[in-house]
Amino acid sequence: MAEPVSIAMGQGSSCWGCFQSLIDIHMNLATVLPALDIKYWQCVTDYKLSDLEGYPDKSIVVGLYEGVARTEEDLHLLKTMREKCQILVAFGSCSCFGGIPGLANFYDLEECLDVKFRENKTVSGGKVPTENVPPFEPVIVPNNQIVDIDIYLPGCPPTSDLILTAITALLKGEEIKLDPHTVCHYCSREKKDTPIEKVLRPYEGIADPDRCLLEQGYICLGSATWGLCEGQCVNKGATCRGCFGPPPPIMQDQGANAISMLGTYAPLPPEELKEQVKDPLGLFNRFTYATSHLGSMRIKREEAKKR
Amino acid sequence: MSEDKIIRIDPVTRLEGHGSLTLKLGKDGKVKDVQFNVSSTRFFEKFLEGRPMEEAPRIASRICGICPIPHHLASVKTVEAAWGITPPPAAVKIRRLMIEAKQLSSHAIHFYALAAPDFVFGPFADPSVRNVAAVLKHLPDVAVQAIKLMEFGQELIKTVGAKAIHPTTAIPGGQLTPLKEEDRDLWLGRVPEMLENIHKTVDLAKKVVNDYIDVVTKVAVAPTYYIGLTNKGVLDIYEGTVRVMDPEGNIVADFEPKDYTQYYGEHIPDHSYATHIYYKPVGYPEGIWRTNTLARCNVADKMATPLADAALKEMRELVGRPSHHTFAYHYARVVEMVQAAEWIKTLLEDPEIVSTDIKLSDVEPRAGEGVGLVEAPRGTLLHNYESDDKGMLVKANLIVATNNNIAGIEKSLMVAAKQIFEDKAHESLKLPEPMVKT
Repeated sequence: MAEPVSIAMGQGSSCWGCFQSLIDIHMNLATVLPALDIKYWQCVTDYKLSDLEGYPDKSIVVGLYEGVARTEEDLHLLKTMREKCQILVAFGSCSCFGGIPGLANFYDLEECLDVKFRENKTVSGGKVPTENVPPFEPVIVPNNQIVDIDIYLPGCPPTSDLILTAITALLKGEEIKLDPHTVCHYCSREKKDTPIEKVLRPYEGIADPDRCLLEQGYICLGSATWGLCEGQCVNKGATCRGCFGPPPPIMQDQGANAISMLGTYAPLPPEELKEQVKDPLGLFNRFTYATSHLGSMRIKREEAKKR
Repeated sequence: MSEDKIIRIDPVTRLEGHGSLTLKLGKDGKVKDVQFNVSSTRFFEKFLEGRPMEEAPRIASRICGICPIPHHLASVKTVEAAWGITPPPAAVKIRRLMIEAKQLSSHAIHFYALAAPDFVFGPFADPSVRNVAAVLKHLPDVAVQAIKLMEFGQELIKTVGAKAIHPTTAIPGGQLTPLKEEDRDLWLGRVPEMLENIHKTVDLAKKVVNDYIDVVTKVAVAPTYYIGLTNKGVLDIYEGTVRVMDPEGNIVADFEPKDYTQYYGEHIPDHSYATHIYYKPVGYPEGIWRTNTLARCNVADKMATPLADAALKEMRELVGRPSHHTFAYHYARVVEMVQAAEWIKTLLEDPEIVSTDIKLSDVEPRAGEGVGLVEAPRGTLLHNYESDDKGMLVKANLIVATNNNIAGIEKSLMVAAKQIFEDKAHESLKLPEPMVKT
C-alpha cells in the first residue's frame, strides 16, 4: 500500500453536512481512511487548533475547508489551512459560494444580532455574548476572496460519490475529471419546449411526474445548476434550488442565468412575473448570493462603511 | 485574579458543531467557572424572514447536516400548523420512516464514531489513535457493523427524501414522492441484517457500560430537569406532547408544542452563541433541563416497541429513573436505536407505506402562526413561524435541540471538573483494560 497522504479537514461556520457526506461513502471508508494521514479533523480526531498551527507551512498535502467565515475564528482557521496545505479544496457550496449562510448578507449584522440575542419570542433584553467567543465578521465574504482556492467541490452537500471520486484522484495526485452538464442532463422528465402560462408555487396542485417541472410552471433551477448531483431531487418530484451552484466556469452568475432561463420559458408581462415569482433573490441566488454580482455589491457596501 | 489558572480546550473535538471549553481554577485549586463556549451561529432566524413559507423546510435543514431530517420535518409541520392543513396519513408514515432512519444512522455515528474510541482505546490513549479510523484498523468487525447501520439509515433516507443530507421531499400538504413497491421490497429484504447489527450493538453497549460502570455511575452525575416528546407517555420522535421531569423524577408538565412559550425560557449567556434553554416556571439556573437520549428515556413511561422497551427496563435496573448519569446517554442512545429499528420494520411492513395518496392538491396559504416540534437525535427541536396571508414568512423562532442541553452540559462539566481538579476522583476510578492496547 502507498504511504498515507496527509490531510487536514477544517470547518468554518457550517452544518457538518459535507463531512457527513464524506462518511456516507460507507464501505469505501475501509479503503479511504487507511490511505489518509489525518492531521486535523475536529469532528473525528482529537487534535487541537494548536496542533494544526504547529505544522510547518505547506507540510500537509490536502486541505478540505467546509463552511463560511462568519467569525474571526473561522477566518483564522481558513487562513491557517491555506498556510499549512499544498492543495486547498473549497469543500461544499458554503465554502465555494457562501451557500445558505450567505443569505445573512441580505441584512446588516445588527439586524441579525437583534433577532438572535436581543428580542424574539423567548428572549427579551438579551446582550450579544462577548466572553471567550470570537467576534462576528460584519458580512460573509466568500472564502475565495480571503485565500486562494485550488479546487472547488460544490454541493449542499457534495454527493458521497463525488467526494469519493475527488478524494481518490487527490490521493493519486491526479486531476479530478468531472462532467460539465447541468441538472437537466440527468433529469428523466420530458421537455416539450412549451411556454409557462402561470408560475406555480411548489405546494400547488399535483405535478405530472413525467414532465419538466419548469414547463409545468414550477420554478426549477436545474438548467442553471451544475449536475454533479445527478438529478436526485428532480427525479424525486422536487424542484431544483441550485445547491451545486453554476456549471463551469465555476464563478459565473447562477442567479442571472436562472432568471434568463425563466425569461425564455415564461413570456409573461414583467408585472405579472414580478407578482408571481416570490422572493427572487432568495430563490435564484439561494446558494450563491455571496459570490453573485449583486452579492459582491453588498459586500462592497460593507467595505465602504468601514472606510 | 491574575493568579487564576485558565485551561482552554480548543476546539472541543468529536462533536458536531463549534465549541471550546474554558475552565477557571482559583489559587486554592478550586474550580471557579466552567464555560462551554459555542463559537458560531449563522442567523437562520433572520434570513428565514421574507422567504416563502414552503421554502423554509429546504432552508432550515441546513442548520444541521447530521440532523437535517428533523429540521426538514419540524419546519414542514410548522408551515402546516400555520396554514391549518393536515397531510394525508400515508405522508405522515413516510415522514416517520425518514426520521426513524435518521435516528438510526445518527445514533450509530455518535455511538461508534464519536464516543466508542474513548471506550475502545481507553480515555488516556494518544489522540492519534483515539478516533474512528483507528477503530477501523484494530476492530474491523465492529467498524463494519457500524458502517452498515449508518449506511442503512442514510440510504433509506435517500430513497424517500431524495437526498440523505438535506432532503427535499416534504412539502406543506404532504410528500412529493411515494415509496415505490420495489423500493419497499428491497428495504424489507435488508431489515434482517440491520436487526442483527442492532443486536450486536446492544451487546457491545452492555459490555462497555459494565466495563466502565465506575465511570458511568460516578463521573459527571448531574441532577437537572429533563425535556422530551412522548405520545401518551410513550417515547416518540415525530409527534405528541412535551413532557418535563424535575430532578426528583416527577412529571411537572405535559404540554402541546404550540404552548411552548409558557414553559421555555431562553437565557443569553455572555460566553456562548448557543443560548441556554430552561424550564421557565422555575427560572434560570434552577430550571436548567437536559434533552437528547437520556432525557427522553427519563421522561417516557415506556418505549413504543417491544425489544426497545425490554432494553429500557434493563437500563433502568442499572441506572434508575430518572438517571442523572451523563455517561448513561450512550446507553440510552442504543435503547433508542432499537426503537428506531423496530419502527422502520413496522413501517415497511405497513401496506399504506406505498400509498400514492400522499399530497393534498388544494393547499392555500393563510395568515397565522405555527409551531412544529420533533425530536432530533440530539434533542427536542422546535420551529415557530408567523406567516402572512400570502404565505410569506414574517418571523421565526427556532429552539434547536442542542440549545436545550448547553446549560446542562456546563452543569455536568462543572461536576466533572470538581471531581478531577479538586477531588482527584479520576485517579481512583476503576477502569478496565482497554479493548485494544496501542
